[in-house]
Amino acid sequence: MAAIELDGVTKRFGDVTAVSDLDLTVPEGEVFGFLGPNGAGKSTTINMLLDFVRPTAGDVRVLGLDAGGESVAVRRRTGVLPEGYDVYHRLTGRKHIEFAMRSKEVDGDPDAVLERVGIADAADRKAGGYSKGMRQRLVLGMALVGDPDLLILDEPSSGLDPGGAREMRDIVREEAEGGTTVFFSSHVLGQVEAVCDRVGILREGELVAEDSIEGLRDAVEGGETLVITVDAASEDDLDAVRALSGVSNATTDGGTVTVTCDADTKTAVIGALEDAGIAVKDFQTEETSLEDLFLAYTEGEMSA
Amino acid sequence: MTWTAVARKDFQDAIRSRWVAALSVLFVLLVSAAAYLVRPAPGQTISSNQILNSLFVRDALVTTLVPLIALIVAYNAVVGERESGSLKLLLSLPHSRADVVFGKVLGRAGAIAAPIAVGFLLPALIFLVVPAVNFDVLSYLGYTLLTAVLAVCFVSIAVGFSTAASSSRRAIAGAVGIYFLFVPLWGAVRFPLQFYLGMGGGPSWLPLSGQQVLRMLTLINPTGSFKTVSNAFMQGALYTQGDVNMQVSATLMLLVWILVPPLLGLLWFQEADL
Repeated sequence: MAAIELDGVTKRFGDVTAVSDLDLTVPEGEVFGFLGPNGAGKSTTINMLLDFVRPTAGDVRVLGLDAGGESVAVRRRTGVLPEGYDVYHRLTGRKHIEFAMRSKEVDGDPDAVLERVGIADAADRKAGGYSKGMRQRLVLGMALVGDPDLLILDEPSSGLDPGGAREMRDIVREEAEGGTTVFFSSHVLGQVEAVCDRVGILREGELVAEDSIEGLRDAVEGGETLVITVDAASEDDLDAVRALSGVSNATTDGGTVTVTCDADTKTAVIGALEDAGIAVKDFQTEETSLEDLFLAYTEGEMSA
Repeated sequence: MTWTAVARKDFQDAIRSRWVAALSVLFVLLVSAAAYLVRPAPGQTISSNQILNSLFVRDALVTTLVPLIALIVAYNAVVGERESGSLKLLLSLPHSRADVVFGKVLGRAGAIAAPIAVGFLLPALIFLVVPAVNFDVLSYLGYTLLTAVLAVCFVSIAVGFSTAASSSRRAIAGAVGIYFLFVPLWGAVRFPLQFYLGMGGGPSWLPLSGQQVLRMLTLINPTGSFKTVSNAFMQGALYTQGDVNMQVSATLMLLVWILVPPLLGLLWFQEADL
C-alpha cells in the first residue's frame, strides 16, 4: 500500500497556483526526499497531507486514509515537523513532550525522547529560551512520540548546525530501518542524497523529476562541467554554445564560461566559442555533481 | 477526543502568564477593599452576603470588570496561535479542529476561574476569623462559582471571535464590541428603556408586551442572566420562589452563551486554510 498518494492535486490561493496537477506516490517504508527551491510548493503539498490546507482539486490519501475527512486518524499515525511553527514559550521541553504523549494517547518517558534528540539537559528550561536548532530538535522529539508509521519533516535541517543536521539524518535512518516511511522536504540536495531512496523535484508547483538517487546519478554520468577561461564573454555570446546538442547549461561571469555538457561535446563547445570571436586562454573539466543537476532542474534549464 | 489534552496544555500555558498572577492580586485587593468599605460599625456584625451584594463587588467587580478581563484572557486563544505558528504544532498532533476550539474554551475557563477563586477565597479566610462577619459558606461558594460561570460565558464569546478572526486585531475588536454592547451601552439604556417599556411603550407590531421585551433583553445579555440567577440564589429562592421561569431561562441562556459562540467560530474554522 502507498503511504502517500497524490492524484491530480491542485492548490490555488486566490489567483496564485501553488501546486499544479501533482501526481505522486510514496510506497510504505520508503525514504522520500521532496526537493525544490523555496516557494516551489513543497510546504503547500505537505500542508495538504496534514489537512492544514484543502486542495482546490484532486485526491490526497495518506496511509490509505482520506487526508481531509480522516485527518485525525492520519495524524495519530504520523509524526510531523512542520514548517513555520512556533513552540509554547512558557512551557518547558518536557511539558511539550508530555503534551505530545497525551495528544497521541500513549505512555512513555519524556526524558528518553529528549535524550534521543539531544536536548535532555534542557528538559526543564522554558522552550521560549531555546535556539532555533533546539526548537527543531524538540519538535522532532514530539514527532517521534508514539512510534509513527509515517514521518513528515518539512525542512528538518533548517536552523541546525552541520553536526545537528547529521544527527537528524541518523534519526531519519534509524526510523526508516524500523519500517517508518519518511517524507521530507529540503531545498538543499546535500541533506537528502545520503538518506533518500528516491527524490522528487518540485518547481513552480510541478514535479519536474522523480527518480532514485542512483537514477539521477546515471543521468549525470558521463556529464562534465567545462570551466573555460576567456578574454571576455557575454551571455549573448553563449547562444551558439547552448544551441549545441549535448549542452545542458552554459553561464558566464565575463572572464570564465561554465558549460555543463556530455564528454564528447567538449571540442564543439570550444570551437563554438572561438567562432563567436572569443579568445580561449585555458580550460579544465570537472565531473558534474548531483548538486549541479539539481540546480539545473530547479533553475529551469532542464525538464523531465 | 483529545480536547482535554488541549485544555490541559492551554491551562498550563495560560496560568504561567503574568496576567493570571496580576489578576489574582487585583481580585484579592478588590474583594478586600469592598469588604473594608462595607465594614460594620464597631460592635455590629455583617453577613458575608452583604459584602457580595455590595455595589463594589456585584456591580463594579463581577458584572463590569470580570467580563472585560475574561475577554482579554481569551481573545487571543486561537488566533494568537495562528499568528505565531504554534497552531501548526498543535494541529500536527491528532486533534480535530473542534478539539482545539473546545479545549481552548476549557483551558481559558480554567485560567480565568483560578484568579476568581483566589480573589474570592483568600479574603474569605479573613472573613472566617473576623467575628464581625457572619460567614455564609454556601452562599459565598455559590456566588464565586456563578461569577466563574459568567466569566466562562465571556471566555466563550472571545474564543468564538478568536476562532473565526483572521487576525488578533479583528478578534479583539469583536470582543470589545460585544463588551460595549452588553456592559456600558446596556447600563446606559436599561433605566430609560425600563421606564419606557414599563409605561406600555414598545413597538406595537410585536406580539409582546413592553415587559416581555424587557425580560427578553435582560435574558439575552449574559450579565443580565447572571444577575437574575445570582439574585435569586442569594435570596435562597433559586428555582423555588419568585419568577422561576425567568430563572430557568436565564440559566439556559448562560449555557447558550458558553456553547454557541465557539460553535459558530468552529463553523468557519473548519473550512479555513491555516
